[in-house]
Amino acid sequence: MPIFDTPEALETILGGFFERLRFVEQAYLIYQIGGTMEFVFRKPDTRIRWVPQPKTAATPFTVAYGVPTEPVLLTFEQDGDTAHRFWLGRVNLQQALARQQVVARGPLSRAMKLIPHLDEIYPLYAHYLEDVGHAEWIGGARS
Amino acid sequence: MSASRLIRAAILPDYDQPIEVTTVTLDAPQHGEVLVRLVAAGVCHSDGHVVTGHLPLPTPIVLGHEGAGVVEEVGMGVTHLRPGDRVMVSWIPACGHCWWCVNGQPELCEQANTSAVSGERPDGSTRLHWHNAPLYPFSSAGTWAEAAVVPATSVVPIPDHLPYAEAALLGCAVQTGVGAALRSPLRPGDTVAVIGCGGVGLNIIQGARIRGASTILAVDPAAENRELALIMGAHHAINPAQEDALTAVLDLTDDRGVDVAFEAVGQPELIALAFAAARRGGTAIAVGVPTPNATVSVNAFAFASQEKTLTGSWFGGSYAPRDVPRLIALWERQQLQLTSLIRRQYSLDAAGEALYQLLHHPAGRNLITLHSSPVPPDISEKGA
Repeated sequence: MPIFDTPEALETILGGFFERLRFVEQAYLIYQIGGTMEFVFRKPDTRIRWVPQPKTAATPFTVAYGVPTEPVLLTFEQDGDTAHRFWLGRVNLQQALARQQVVARGPLSRAMKLIPHLDEIYPLYAHYLEDVGHAEWIGGARS
Repeated sequence: MSASRLIRAAILPDYDQPIEVTTVTLDAPQHGEVLVRLVAAGVCHSDGHVVTGHLPLPTPIVLGHEGAGVVEEVGMGVTHLRPGDRVMVSWIPACGHCWWCVNGQPELCEQANTSAVSGERPDGSTRLHWHNAPLYPFSSAGTWAEAAVVPATSVVPIPDHLPYAEAALLGCAVQTGVGAALRSPLRPGDTVAVIGCGGVGLNIIQGARIRGASTILAVDPAAENRELALIMGAHHAINPAQEDALTAVLDLTDDRGVDVAFEAVGQPELIALAFAAARRGGTAIAVGVPTPNATVSVNAFAFASQEKTLTGSWFGGSYAPRDVPRLIALWERQQLQLTSLIRRQYSLDAAGEALYQLLHHPAGRNLITLHSSPVPPDISEKGA
């Protein structure tokens, strides 16, 4: 069984997590990435984006859904289960790219700004899942 | 153990930024590490790929992943090296304990790969610092610097009669190229195509010659590379800017294709060309390093119906402690050329110019020479 049964379920859980990330210390990294980062999901099919905001805005980025209306710099395409495992820190991105479990488009070097900080972000997803009543998913999905 | 020291190094502050030659802090070697005062360092296309972000390694980074110099200090637990030893520095410090090391593929060492991607030692630390922040070495090496603290497992002693400049090439280009040929299915008498004749491709040609290939076809748009390819042992040099490379390969092999085709650039369309150039039942080997999100399109029917093999070679399947002494022996017997590979040498201050030349006028292998050595680089040729 996939973790996310429907696009709405994925958008609720991962979208909600991304909304929470807007307020964490590492959110400023979106400025170093320098553009919109889009996550394209398969099984279930949907898409979510981190859209940079002016530095005067309340948070460094907003979370947007659906077909983008603004230019996208980086795209990461993956299925819902892979995304779930990635944010739990159980996906080796290098290996996932090589196996095309994650398909990246755009300048990967920009994403490198985020990668050194992922170890700080992964626990936030586990905590978030606990907060929204899905602690049972923390051990779920093949690691 | 000595204290940290200040050294000069060529740094890439961020992708697509100019190289900055500046002063950085280098910590003393810790357990299992050595401090090497560098005399020569190779300029590899992978350095260029880091600069452009096509090989996304963490920045700021000290470029360079092959070199040679003198051991100045050893950390605890290092028994095969002593201060004063002349050494070469390579870039895959195989741990010897992970699944890949134990199962005979130390070039895929888990720990070495993780360190290369993260820029950090296994404990998360770095030995380099700049502006009070971590500074990362290219693949645990970072040889475009006056000195480097590296894992002892990536350091191999060299004989007194091997000049530093030539020894530096053993760190990457020679192991990668010669190793790819020696570990390929290539048999004596086979036909070979080498697509891309830079530092690695030229060494594939040498490896194919050593292995006994009867016909070596070199493909490269640069005249200087084609000339070098012929010096290294190629029998025909094909200019893809003037003729269709696949047609030329087929013309020279009775329309059969080559037994083994190597791609040494890292471009998907050239990997596809290598696959097309291989004969039925032949093998195409991708040696060049593409960007991590690149994909290649080849004819799927050919796998089954023509029994073609498409495979890869990372670092030539090499293990420096095993292979460097063998390569030195081949050089001593004049079977392996090293001096002929060296085209230009630059001071550390001219690292930016070295990189520009690499990206715009690639030919053979260029070097960064560090002039702080007590032993000036000697360019006398003992090999072929």
